[in-house]
Amino acid sequence: MGKCFSTLQFHTSRCDGCGDCMTACAQAKANTDDQAYSRIHILPKTAGEVVELALCRQCADPICVMNCPSGALSKNGDTGVIDWAESKCVNCLLCTAGCAYAGIVYEAKVGHVAKCDLCDGDPACVKVCPSEAIEYRTAARIFNAYAGKEDMFCRGLSACHGCNSELLIRHTMRMVGPDSVVAAPPGCIPGMGTVGYNGQTGAKVPIFHSLLTNTATMLAGVKMQYNRVGRDVTAIALAGDGGTSDAGFQSVSGAAERNDPILFICVDNEGYMNTGMQSSGVTPYGSWTSTTPVGGQMQGKRTEAKNLPIIMTMHNCSYVATASTAFLEDYYAKLEKAIKVAKTGMAYLHVHAPCPTGWRFPSGITTEVCRMQVRTNFVALWEYDPENGLRFTHPVDRPEPVADYLKMIGKYRHLSEEQIAHIQRTVDEKITYLRQLTVMAATRHPASVH
Amino acid sequence: MTAVTDTSRSASNKPSFVVCEGNEAAAIGVGLARPDVVAVYPITPQSSLVEHLSQMIADGRLQADLMNVEGEHAVMCGLQGVALAGGRTFTATCGPGLAFMFEPYVRTPGLRLPMVASLVTRDLLTPQCVWGGQQDAMVVREAGWIQMYCETVQEILDSTVMAYKIAEHRDVMLPINVCHDGNYLSFGVTRVEVPDQQDVDEFLGPPNTNWHIALDPLRPMGVDPLTGGAGGAGPRNFVRYRKGQVRGMQNALRVIREVHAAWGERFGRYHAPLVEEYRLDDADYALVTIGSMTGAAKDAIDIARDKGEAVGLIKIKTFRPFPLEAMVAALAKVKRIGVVDRSVSFGWNCGPLYQDTLGAIYHTGRAIPAISFIGGLAGADITVEHFARAIALTREAEWGRISSEPVWLNEND
Amino acid sequence: MRSKYMIVGSSHAALEAATAIRLIDADGTLTLLTRDAHLPYSPTILPYVVSGRSQPDNVVLRDQAYFNDNAIVFVPGATVVSIDPAQSSLRLASGDTWRYDRLLIATGAAPMLPPVRGLTDVPFHVLRSLDDAINLRQAMGQARSAIVLGAGLIGMHTAENMAKADIAVTVVELQSHALAGYFEPRASAIIERTFARNGISMLMGQTLRSVERKGDGCLATLADGQTIAADLLLLCTGVKPNIGFLNGSGIEVDTGILVDDLMRTNLPNIWAAGDVAQARGFWGGKVINGILPNAVGQGRIAGLGMADDAGVTPFAGVVPLNTYSFFGQQAISVGRGSTGSGFEIEECGNEADGVYRHIVLKDGQLVGIATINDFIDAGIMWQLILRGTDLSPVKAEFIANPQLTGRRLMSQTWR
Repeated sequence: MGKCFSTLQFHTSRCDGCGDCMTACAQAKANTDDQAYSRIHILPKTAGEVVELALCRQCADPICVMNCPSGALSKNGDTGVIDWAESKCVNCLLCTAGCAYAGIVYEAKVGHVAKCDLCDGDPACVKVCPSEAIEYRTAARIFNAYAGKEDMFCRGLSACHGCNSELLIRHTMRMVGPDSVVAAPPGCIPGMGTVGYNGQTGAKVPIFHSLLTNTATMLAGVKMQYNRVGRDVTAIALAGDGGTSDAGFQSVSGAAERNDPILFICVDNEGYMNTGMQSSGVTPYGSWTSTTPVGGQMQGKRTEAKNLPIIMTMHNCSYVATASTAFLEDYYAKLEKAIKVAKTGMAYLHVHAPCPTGWRFPSGITTEVCRMQVRTNFVALWEYDPENGLRFTHPVDRPEPVADYLKMIGKYRHLSEEQIAHIQRTVDEKITYLRQLTVMAATRHPASVH
Repeated sequence: MTAVTDTSRSASNKPSFVVCEGNEAAAIGVGLARPDVVAVYPITPQSSLVEHLSQMIADGRLQADLMNVEGEHAVMCGLQGVALAGGRTFTATCGPGLAFMFEPYVRTPGLRLPMVASLVTRDLLTPQCVWGGQQDAMVVREAGWIQMYCETVQEILDSTVMAYKIAEHRDVMLPINVCHDGNYLSFGVTRVEVPDQQDVDEFLGPPNTNWHIALDPLRPMGVDPLTGGAGGAGPRNFVRYRKGQVRGMQNALRVIREVHAAWGERFGRYHAPLVEEYRLDDADYALVTIGSMTGAAKDAIDIARDKGEAVGLIKIKTFRPFPLEAMVAALAKVKRIGVVDRSVSFGWNCGPLYQDTLGAIYHTGRAIPAISFIGGLAGADITVEHFARAIALTREAEWGRISSEPVWLNEND
Repeated sequence: MRSKYMIVGSSHAALEAATAIRLIDADGTLTLLTRDAHLPYSPTILPYVVSGRSQPDNVVLRDQAYFNDNAIVFVPGATVVSIDPAQSSLRLASGDTWRYDRLLIATGAAPMLPPVRGLTDVPFHVLRSLDDAINLRQAMGQARSAIVLGAGLIGMHTAENMAKADIAVTVVELQSHALAGYFEPRASAIIERTFARNGISMLMGQTLRSVERKGDGCLATLADGQTIAADLLLLCTGVKPNIGFLNGSGIEVDTGILVDDLMRTNLPNIWAAGDVAQARGFWGGKVINGILPNAVGQGRIAGLGMADDAGVTPFAGVVPLNTYSFFGQQAISVGRGSTGSGFEIEECGNEADGVYRHIVLKDGQLVGIATINDFIDAGIMWQLILRGTDLSPVKAEFIANPQLTGRRLMSQTWR
């Protein structure tokens, strides 16, 4: 298994070419504001074009290193950075002939080649970028830590094209590991074959096709028995929103109130997507579903979604968090906590799972839809525990208009201007409400202010 | 009076004696079986049973985990989890609670989980009613659970312990409802003999609830994957499972007999395992009864016998699986039958036990005239007088003169 | 002895092939035979060893730990004397015989000695091996004057080193200007002037007629009759592929070993790469261009092919390329000059300031670019040529600022 590394990501669409990153780089590398010393080169916009970038990509298979006759360049096996050793460099510039992106260039003012070294994992450019156009992507550590772990599901699960639930459960169970018992109530997750078919299993861990209504409780029973005999087994639910918020709610609520030591993951695709896109208790206002259709008398769902994760916090169970598969590092951090918590109390993770099939959007943009949920504050990423209260884990202070999110999705195609305005209002209200909760938490625990 | 003989016993330790109600007797029986987890949710007239158990656990007299859940549905689900993880379980319910439990309840036999649950039988709504009656148990008679109906408080205790041995028998692996009548037995107080714990431990052996189906990381398996429809492997698998389940039920008839015999041998109390015949051998006609009503019925039989009537009694202990062979053997001895039900078959305009008895009569090869009596609904007593009337009517039963209506014993009380 | 993969040679092409093989096949036995006694190093580093910038023990490209970690058998001091393709075997000077399944010949090139009368009677130096460099550096310590024959990269580089070591240097070059393989006369003039300013005597368009021994040094007589005495004579008159041991093997050779675009020779299971291989030129023909990036690219292709990687990309063709630093200045050349009609040439710069830019375009595509003291990204220019990127839409912009325009174009392709 190869190794992955953290990297800089550049979003040209967000870059206005201000050049602050170059100044910061020059400061960091040469203690000067002279951008000539910068190792990141923002290439100004030309007419009709966008800002471009010349920067070392820290290639996996770096030709600059191959071209170096002096051994001055090497790929660092720990950081992934192409390290440059001044003591060995002979200034032959052959490295520059190996780079197609001007990632290593001769800097006349310093008299030798120079390149980005990612500032030892804390890039100066990222910190000063006012528009989040440069991000430092550290998701590689997830790969390094977990890619080598066994995938707990069999190959060939039959999820729809573009479904992120399969991605989610494979990621999740890699971390949870083999000492676990999974319950999957009716829905997409067993529907794609995780529990198996005709006597064959779809998972490498014990997995139960629980009832829509009983998942949390039966897992609590499993866990209780293993605790009784002194075995450390993670009891984990991979449930849909129907099995959590509707028919399953009593069971979930009971388990949360008892703080049963289980890990309950609600994969929220905002309705019964497995059985023909019917509405559920968490289907958002305005959504077309097959039971909240669009016609002369009805324009999609008439009532709001219940805020299930917030309801879960009201149970005072040990851990509650929301998550999005577009923010996997955030998810991994939460999952890690949840697994620990679930040894002694209930952990509830509410993961948003846009459904290309049921929501009517192209299967290729699922992750983009996930991202837009968060960037518009339609979905807020936060975590809660009774001790520290609620805090945002990825605050979005300058959200994009929710209309930009809604227009990506077919189930909102019919929405009127008034309906869109209404949704924007409820999103704003919801985020205000959450902010108040974070303020309350911060007041209680000043140390946890973010 | 139940058929108890106190002649031989192999139990090494002396029993103790307590005076208690039926619900407490059940709780004592549960305690002796040492379950891992007891899940409780209260409902009249079962409540004192789970209260007794909770107190036993609180006192440390029972080393079980107590699962306080938010309803009967959760009770059954939680216990399924425990059983799938290898634990021995207990719960109790009745009436509306059983109705609420129905979804996971009907799944338990298919999972072949050897659970034991008391049904403190209660009539079903509506009209609103919290009293005894066997309508709840009769509604689920085709849910796949074994049903044993107790006649006395002592039999409740003994049957509760025996139920674990029957359910966990490898040829059975099915859940059991030990039924005792709400009010009359649940709250009826008598002296009962409590066997010694060590004797019971030896009798039952350690639990093994999930050797065949488990949620255990050491033996990973997909539990209950979807079976395909529309022919081929799916329905073929399904048939295989169903046949296995039905075979388990039939095996239970043998195992119930063996376990009752072993119980009698060890503890000196021989309860009729399937069907009890009372003064039947020289009878011309007989009543068929079930549950606690049998005590009054036997008194009525004795009185009638004193008057020279050749009447006997057939008591059903095990109603599911239906003890066809034993029932046919008993029925073969008489010419007329009166069946007293404590519930109603809405579809057949008679009692469900009556309906099943007709099925057994078919297997005798004789057309035995039979009358359906329905009594004891909503906690009503079926008195010796009621049974005297039933005896009188049964004696006159003749083909062509049997009403299509049941006789409602308490109709004019 | 037997090895699934056998590589003869230990410089860039050989090392890159080994890397590529290990990408695909982690276990197959892999052996590197080299006539050199040292751990692998680059010939390109030698002038820096001569100058003292690089220490001989600090120029190793792969150490023994690398070979151990990658299960590569490294055999130094192993000179191959013959190959028997029919037996899939090769014989070493030591008499050892190795059998192989797949063979890569990456034996590089050796200095070519000019036909100069008296050469066998005088002490002279060449610079192709680490031992050459160590010897030359030692000799320079005693020398006050030197003749460098050949104004190619090695000659120019060493001449500069000698001048910096206070040696009176004369560079004698047959061609009319220095570095003729890479630069137009105008560019060379800038370089030559810089050398002259630093006290180096640049004799262009001159040939050495004869040499004779004089003390510990020599006395050289040029074609025009003038004589130069020098303590030290360095011959940098080019190299020729090391292919002598292939005689009778049936491997097809011209100047070097003829290879196809997958670096395969005419015989099955035998590949060749690097300075010994004669591969397709980007603009046609079969050429040898002894530059490091070509050796790396060819070694990679050969290695992947030897390991049966289905995704191997055929060689794009040799494009001349060089980056050259002299007296703190930079000269960069990618591609070639104009060779006929249909070429557009854009030249600019101020020769007096030593700044120079020469761009050759054809049909809107870049053919060659050379600059002095005007930094361009050689890698980007190389890619623009190889990819045949259409520069017509940005032609004016490119000519005005090839660096920025090139970077922008490549950034677009990245996205």
